Amino acid sequence: MNDFDIRFSEEGDLASLEEWFLDPAACDDYPFGEQEKGDALKNWIGFSKYKASLTGLIGNQPVAVGTLFLMPYKKVAHHCSFYLMVAPIHRRKGVGTSMVRNLLHLAKTRFALESVDVEVYEPSHLQPILQKLGFEIFARQEGFVKAENCVRARVLMEHFFV
Amino acid sequence: MTVTIRLAEEGDQQYLVEWLLQPGVLDWFPLEGMREIEDAAKIWLSYKQYSAVLVAVYDGIPCGIANLYLQPYKKLAHQCLFAIIVDEKVRGQGVGTKLLQELMTLAKEQFKIELLHLEVYEGNPAMRLYERLGFEQYGKQRHFVKDANGYKAKILMQKKMTEVLDGRA
Repeated sequence: MNDFDIRFSEEGDLASLEEWFLDPAACDDYPFGEQEKGDALKNWIGFSKYKASLTGLIGNQPVAVGTLFLMPYKKVAHHCSFYLMVAPIHRRKGVGTSMVRNLLHLAKTRFALESVDVEVYEPSHLQPILQKLGFEIFARQEGFVKAENCVRARVLMEHFFV
Repeated sequence: MTVTIRLAEEGDQQYLVEWLLQPGVLDWFPLEGMREIEDAAKIWLSYKQYSAVLVAVYDGIPCGIANLYLQPYKKLAHQCLFAIIVDEKVRGQGVGTKLLQELMTLAKEQFKIELLHLEVYEGNPAMRLYERLGFEQYGKQRHFVKDANGYKAKILMQKKMTEVLDGRA
């Protein structure tokens, strides 16, 4: 992680996201499926135009993209949710933890948000990382995801800055 | 009071906007200002193309609207969120109950929805309707809304559609 760096995401990072999602199993932890990921990934990287998306780099190559999905309505604009994807070959190196820390910093400093929330599906490798970073569960919904031979609960978590 | 339920049609959006603008209604929605109201009403009525929006009609005039926010993704398509609003002039007369019962039947029979859920802000009197029809709380997000009156929590409620029989909760 010595050469880990972070910059704002660019539209061109879509190619990296698409590459990481080539494995059909990559969609398992997201609401969209293999056949639906095209538009979902374009929408995801689209938030880069608001400087609401960060790209993690190792050796100047993208290894992760994390994005704040800013809310469109004023009364709920003080919080938002986020997505995070770490390149499969760069997992278990602390990239995810660093990305979430930086997303929280971006949310607090650039957008003056008061909290950030996230949705994960059980079992989730991201959930323990989020709990270590101060996220707390505020809802758990059984049977939210129904894939082939697999029904999963969704867990909603949030992190407050104040 | 005889209320009939029909699918939404062109022109129903104006009633939704009108009801959202009635005094106090926006306390229970995340919206503020005409741009946000019209934007939300357009999205709400856009589900008309899937025949997923119901309108309650009294004496030939719409008096309530409810819709299913059908999920765009296959692995989530067995469940969905809904929204409902009733004209303040006919509240307390069973319109919400009838509309929601019909919506649950539509969800189960037409769209094979297994889990129907909703989001309501803490203190909204409509929670009594949802509880009466069998919806149960599964989460609470504090400080969800922030306006001139302070913060309000969002209550998340759900109901398994296996419990819905013949249009009755």
